[in-house]
Amino acid sequence: MSELLSANVLTGMLNTMLTLATPLLFAALGETFSQRSGVVNLGVDGIMLLSAFGAFYVVLTNGSLFLGLVVAMLIGIAMGAAMSFVSVTMKAEQGVSGIGLQMFGLGMSSLLFKVMVGTVKTVQGFPRVRIPLLAEIPFLGPILFNNNVLVYIAFALVPICWYVLERTTIGLAIKAVGQNPAAADSRGINVDLVRYGSVCFGAMLAGMAGAAISISTVNLFQDNLTAGQGFIAVALVYFGGWTPVGVMFGALLFSVANSLQLWLQVLGVNVPAGLANMLPYILTIVVLTISVSRGKAPAALNRPFLRGEN
Amino acid sequence: MAGRQHLPAVWSHMTPDLPATRIQHMEMRDIVKTFPGVRANDGVSIDVHSGEVHALLGENGAGKSTLMRQLYGMYQPDSGEIRINDEPVQFRRPLDAIRAGIGMIHQHFMLVPTMTVAENVALGQPSTRGLRLDLDVVSERIATLSEEYGLRVDPEAAIWQLSVGEQQRVEIIKALDLGASLIILDEPTAVLTPQEVDDLFVTLRRMVAEGHSLLFISHKLHEVLDVTDRVTVLRDGASVGSRATKETTRDELVQMMVGRELGDLEIREASTGEAAIEISGLRVLGDRGEEIVRGVDLTVHHGEILGIAGVSGNGQRELAEALSGVREATAGRVKIDGTEITSAPLNERVAAGLSFVPEERMRDGAIGEFTVQENVFLHDHDEPEFCRGIFLKFPQMAEHAESLVSQFAVKTPGLDTPLKNLSGGNIQKLILARELSREPRVLIASQPTRGVDIGASEYIHQVLLEQRDAGMAILLISEDLEEIQTLSDRIAVIYNGRIVGTVERSEADAQSIGVLMAGGSLQQAHQETAERD
Amino acid sequence: MKRRAFLVSLVMLMVMVTTLAVAGATSEAEADSEVFRIAVVMPSATTDTAFSQSMWSALVTVQEAMGGEEAVELVYSENMFIVPDAAAALRDYASQGYDLVIGHGSQYGTIIEDLAPDFPETAFAWGTDVNTFGLDNVYAYTAAAEQGGYVNGVIAGLMTQSGTIGVTGPVEVGDARTYVTGFYQGVRSVNSEANVAETWTGSFSDVALMTAAAQTHILNGADILTGSSQSVVGSIGAALEAGDVLWFGTQAEQTTLAPDIVVASQVYDWSMMLMEIVENAQSGVYGGESYILTLENEGLKIAYNEGVDVPAEAVEAAEAAIAGIIDGSIEIDL
Repeated sequence: MSELLSANVLTGMLNTMLTLATPLLFAALGETFSQRSGVVNLGVDGIMLLSAFGAFYVVLTNGSLFLGLVVAMLIGIAMGAAMSFVSVTMKAEQGVSGIGLQMFGLGMSSLLFKVMVGTVKTVQGFPRVRIPLLAEIPFLGPILFNNNVLVYIAFALVPICWYVLERTTIGLAIKAVGQNPAAADSRGINVDLVRYGSVCFGAMLAGMAGAAISISTVNLFQDNLTAGQGFIAVALVYFGGWTPVGVMFGALLFSVANSLQLWLQVLGVNVPAGLANMLPYILTIVVLTISVSRGKAPAALNRPFLRGEN
Repeated sequence: MAGRQHLPAVWSHMTPDLPATRIQHMEMRDIVKTFPGVRANDGVSIDVHSGEVHALLGENGAGKSTLMRQLYGMYQPDSGEIRINDEPVQFRRPLDAIRAGIGMIHQHFMLVPTMTVAENVALGQPSTRGLRLDLDVVSERIATLSEEYGLRVDPEAAIWQLSVGEQQRVEIIKALDLGASLIILDEPTAVLTPQEVDDLFVTLRRMVAEGHSLLFISHKLHEVLDVTDRVTVLRDGASVGSRATKETTRDELVQMMVGRELGDLEIREASTGEAAIEISGLRVLGDRGEEIVRGVDLTVHHGEILGIAGVSGNGQRELAEALSGVREATAGRVKIDGTEITSAPLNERVAAGLSFVPEERMRDGAIGEFTVQENVFLHDHDEPEFCRGIFLKFPQMAEHAESLVSQFAVKTPGLDTPLKNLSGGNIQKLILARELSREPRVLIASQPTRGVDIGASEYIHQVLLEQRDAGMAILLISEDLEEIQTLSDRIAVIYNGRIVGTVERSEADAQSIGVLMAGGSLQQAHQETAERD
Repeated sequence: MKRRAFLVSLVMLMVMVTTLAVAGATSEAEADSEVFRIAVVMPSATTDTAFSQSMWSALVTVQEAMGGEEAVELVYSENMFIVPDAAAALRDYASQGYDLVIGHGSQYGTIIEDLAPDFPETAFAWGTDVNTFGLDNVYAYTAAAEQGGYVNGVIAGLMTQSGTIGVTGPVEVGDARTYVTGFYQGVRSVNSEANVAETWTGSFSDVALMTAAAQTHILNGADILTGSSQSVVGSIGAALEAGDVLWFGTQAEQTTLAPDIVVASQVYDWSMMLMEIVENAQSGVYGGESYILTLENEGLKIAYNEGVDVPAEAVEAAEAAIAGIIDGSIEIDL
């Protein structure tokens, strides 16, 4: 057990934590925007899958990581637009359309992978970028400042998202639309436009989450590559109380628990693997129970807006 | 408002610019608006000048709100036109109306409860700093407007912390801050205490003095007579007529609204009997887990109506829910005719002789999708008279439903009509009929005439008085002070979860009850009355 | 409005389901009576370089050996990780009169047990398990994965420099467990000092977590990794990135994934077993037997990667282990 506290293990654990947290953080930040505007997008996992495939395929055939990332973002936006059309314009049940989107992403990425690639192949993903000077800081330097560029972007997005939500007119409009769309509408805000924007931005981040797996972490594509991480991301939004910082802590907690349980197993600590696997989930549930996130939910979450119907 | 800077709005398609010119004269001509199955407005015309208060009077469902929503761009008229300063205009969305200088104070406030006052005012407005919020600038504007119009409110406070009256002030500030020169007020006094109403009228008079035009929707006649210059009456979607307020009378307006004259309620002396409801030390928690009924002691006798007056949110709803068993009491006891029912299940309460007319009639009292007949039998379908084992006796049920419908004059196309297709007044009459048909000895009636038209209200009031005369004990909870004053033998005022005073009918006047409703003491109430006299 | 919203949701859902179905099942030519028709339902993709691929490539081998598409018709449903979906697919295939219906996953056992009595003229096969439920139209099959695991372990034990070896497993059941047990004993038989650390991710499909597990082993000093399930591609990727870490595969030939670091793979070859089942079914014997792939019956093979130099000493030790397992002188405790 004492081995767990050695610097080597701690460095490794925290490094793994950042790697695992990155796709969750992208997806959960995106979902935060979507939900803050009142739309629950359960299709995150499907968006991640199709974007992960798109990014992987571009890198496999063309080689440019940057183009792969852009393609993943565009796929995300397109799927976000589809989600918005169904749930905002057509006012359909958000849960059903989200699950539909998820199944579409799962099926379509699987199909395209089979037709266009066929078998498991690996690509060269985003390399680690050592930030000079900062990476020299003892202990923390190698953990925080020796990662690939997507990790930096994901964590840089946390304060940016916070700023947008809390300090700009755009954020005010998004929050108002999620809390009381009729009030926003009566102030001349285009409720549908704000929801389209929020959902599409969220879906774009989900696309980056997909890329963060296929061309940055595992550097390959396989059927159901995300293994349900999109759904974890949705749960993290509730966990984080709909705030970027809360969502980040959620993603970090979940990931550090995962990384810890792997180390427990590697070091041969006598814990049954099944129990160790449950650790992140148990921890999340415990924190969720203790923290009071009730009442923080956007009041118009899941409710389509139709002018004059309150 | 002077010195307001304008940077180009980043989301210019979303954010309103200040209106260029003031509205001197607004006119709506021959407005027709049809919804599936309903002609909500049938050729209505109305106009208003700068510096004038024009009342739009009518019963619920007369088409007042629909008309105003078209002026505010929420709906588009099927035909007819809107002219501002003699130019025809078209409002496709609220933004268009806002840009033309129209503001609307909705009956249900259009506020985001989790946000602060300043944030609500800033919402949808271009910031002076581009994309960055300028809440400090907005707060200064709020302070200026507060002073100018007597609208006291703290810009930093979250909306949910404010009283209803304060929230309404925020709504007015919002409209003024957007530069509105014509303001629509949809039932602005419905939720206010008498004192708050006085404050509101002071503000309205200042606005008129500044040259604003006001459209004032109401169904309260004394307010209309009090504060407006002209009155237009709507009935069943059509305009019945317009009058200068000075030249009309209460009786004429009632007749225009209802289409007939109302008889006076005949109120006999109460002959009070034994104690029927005894409530002692009752404590109940609210939705947020805080104590909201904080030690209520009350006794209602047979042959008596006890009215509970109070501003919405002072524990009335929770008190009624605790009595009906929907909400658990944390302390205290409730007895009905000597039987303790504090934590008894519903059927025991009913057996003890208790009946309820719930506040949220469509949520707690009836099922909209069910037919009229099914709603009559929501509880009593297992009475031996109406069933054999698990099988229902439909002929007997139909007969019973039929007799209730005719006895209580419920206007319905048939017994198999879904309840939601009936008007609020008829739904309420049916619920009352159902509850009274069980011959209860005690009735708890919450907001029995809220959203009910004048004709049906009058009928319901009559029924309640008849039941009282027959010896029933009635606890009447209402936010309509006029109703409480008309019907109650005694009036108990609830404030902050406690009964702050009880007055006999003979001593009850609006002023002293108003003082109590605002949290003052009985002594203060007497004092204030004495000063006025 | 509500109605329209509902319809739109429904149409969306149908489009999605159709996409899934298209992605899931590919059907080949319609059958005529001469053709032997085989349907298989698998939990992952036919190209997973692991469990499902081992079955699919064996079926293709059988088809070629028996005369191509004119003689044997093959259909499959892949990615049937949701068991009720698999149940529906298996029943559909049985109803459509396929001669042999295979449920390729130990999670499908109860489905086969329910299904087989309704179709007495259809041969069913499922694995990995040995239980035929006492039904005479059910075959069961499994692989003695511990045997190849032992051989891989022997080679790994002799090749490790750091003395630390990492095992990245999915869920501690079935052949994933037995493979690791055999591997551990193989390592220990030649290198009693070696530290063999195990991790289990709790998922057959979570590639990202598998990658993290492999990275954890590498940080802990492992210079050799192994593991099973379709998600080990993540481990292999991590080994590749580390540069100086070797890999031992199981279930299918994994050399193609990383030609520079895969030392050897235990390959499941179901083709001989399948050939026998097909022949039995054609002569009216629809089940009642169970098969175990072993080194002895050549259902298990060790495939070396010529691109990686294996010390002669290790090759010799591996050959000796294979011989020992076959003749029973080496026993593996499960």
